[in-house]
Amino acid sequence: MTLREYLAFGLQALRGHRLRSILTLLGMTIGIAAVVLLTALGEGARRYVTNEFMAMGSNLLIVLPGKTETTGSAPIIGGTTSDLTLADAEAIVRRSPRVRALAPLAVGAAKVSFGDRDREVTILGSTAELLPVRRLAVAAGRFLPPSDPERGAPVAVIGRTVQNELFGARNPLGQPVRIGDARFRVVGVMAAKGQQLGIDMDDVVIIPVASCMRLFNQRSLFRMIIEVTANSEIEAAKRDVLRILAERHDDVEDVTVLTQDSVLGAFNRIFTALTLALGGIAAISLTVAGIGIMNVMLVSVSERTSEVGLLKALGAKPRQILLAFLTEAGLLSAAGGLLGIFVGYLGVGALALRFPALPAQPPTWALLASIVVSLGAGLLFGVLPARRAARLDPVTALGSGH
Amino acid sequence: MIALRGLTRHFEVGDQTVRALQDVSLEIPEGEYVAIMGPSGSGKSTLLHILGCLDRPTSGEYVLDGREVGSLPEGDLAEVRSHKIGFVFQFFHLVPRLTATANVELPMLLAGLPPVERRERAAQALLAVGLSDRASHRPNQLSGGQRQRVAIARATVMRPSILLADEPTGNLDRASGFEIIELIERMNLAGLTLIVVTHDQDIGQRARRIVRLVDGRIASDVRQEGAAGRGAAPPSPA
Repeated sequence: MTLREYLAFGLQALRGHRLRSILTLLGMTIGIAAVVLLTALGEGARRYVTNEFMAMGSNLLIVLPGKTETTGSAPIIGGTTSDLTLADAEAIVRRSPRVRALAPLAVGAAKVSFGDRDREVTILGSTAELLPVRRLAVAAGRFLPPSDPERGAPVAVIGRTVQNELFGARNPLGQPVRIGDARFRVVGVMAAKGQQLGIDMDDVVIIPVASCMRLFNQRSLFRMIIEVTANSEIEAAKRDVLRILAERHDDVEDVTVLTQDSVLGAFNRIFTALTLALGGIAAISLTVAGIGIMNVMLVSVSERTSEVGLLKALGAKPRQILLAFLTEAGLLSAAGGLLGIFVGYLGVGALALRFPALPAQPPTWALLASIVVSLGAGLLFGVLPARRAARLDPVTALGSGH
Repeated sequence: MIALRGLTRHFEVGDQTVRALQDVSLEIPEGEYVAIMGPSGSGKSTLLHILGCLDRPTSGEYVLDGREVGSLPEGDLAEVRSHKIGFVFQFFHLVPRLTATANVELPMLLAGLPPVERRERAAQALLAVGLSDRASHRPNQLSGGQRQRVAIARATVMRPSILLADEPTGNLDRASGFEIIELIERMNLAGLTLIVVTHDQDIGQRARRIVRLVDGRIASDVRQEGAAGRGAAPPSPA
């Protein structure tokens, strides 16, 4: 018998029990659809975070005051943490040739008012460097002017939401706003950027870093964002930064330097683990579907015992019986698998419509795995019933069922 | 040519040994028409299964067309069944989901014959049993007699040398029963060795030769003159 003939024979057998075949198929379909959909969710979350990081700019180092990483030596009890200052920032730029740009960052929250309108807004203090480093864009006017960071000019760049809420249709450029108890002049409006790592970049006001620190009475920067000249220089730049700051802070390493890669890598690992976990949960339903196939095939074999006897009387070899039943199981699982991928993609499509921001897409490995697993499960779980059929004694088999 | 020499078949049932066949020796020349008769439990079904290569003797020889087949492995036995033996059963054993044509094609499908040849030979076989107009009917759309005709078409489509019929009329009314017997007797007249297992005297009496089994042994082996079948050579003494 040729493969086509086995397929035709198996298809006829499956059609003979339409409802049962469809229900078994459904089990496999749900299993595979679950794998496709759940891994797509996990992968989507991973891509979302990755994209967010990429949108921040590339080749970035982030310097935080304080040491958060656990190292081999015990923390020095009573050791003081030095502030991260603008002078530190200036020293890094001056001394490390691997630093292309450095944007100091101070953060606070204050009431911003114009006329009789006011709004509680996140205030970011930085320098002109923030624009290229964070890949931001100005929609109208200009960004913070490049100047001595220690000098806090009374100028502000506002986000799109702030503009809408405080100024409505009026042109905000050149208008005075009150932030906390200081006055600033609006010099620019940021292009809409949306959420970025949990901060609504449209609902911020950006002012010179010195003004921000004075406004909130801060002595230390919130962090520094450093753009390194090249990706290959990131580790070296990190060592530079640590060395320069240690020299300036009495030989104590009291800052944390995160590389974008390490943060991204950590997120990647977390989300890959999440995807695997989701895939694992879905795999349980696949296993259940496989056992369903085995169950149905066992029923099928015992129901068709006399048919097996007949086939043997007609000259069927054990191998042919085995292949016939295996083909049937394979057909069930392969059809269920294909249908499951289709349904899974439908689900992913629906997800994309509902949550356009989430780039949900099943990873290739999950697709390949679900095809292999569905076919494999069918064959694996089909082997036992098929072997049982092939080993039936023709005389006994012929005599059954009457 | 079938030759059985000192054939025994024992079954182990629990800790007892059931001797279904004991020291059976029998020669059936080609073209013979034999009825195997006997009360139930006499071993006639077991004998039929061994003759049909569905079962193997515990000891003794079974030589079919010059080849010892009693001890062949399962795969080779399947080959022998495929090419040399046709079965007709009391309960027809048609595959319910397949049409008459597809049922007749089954043995050819298993033997790996190409589709075109299968279709042609199935049509011929159905024509020979007078069922050309029922070719695309399923078994549940056919009467008992028609089902048995499909089964006969299926049993003969591979052009076997031996047709084994196990109570072929046992599930039919008398009229269809005789039609069926007449049909396979015509095939016997055309040269096919016909072995019918039956406990129906009327059917048995039609054979050229009657082998009676009692308690797993051949009790008598009689050749009848003037019976319906052709018969070939005189029976050898058991």
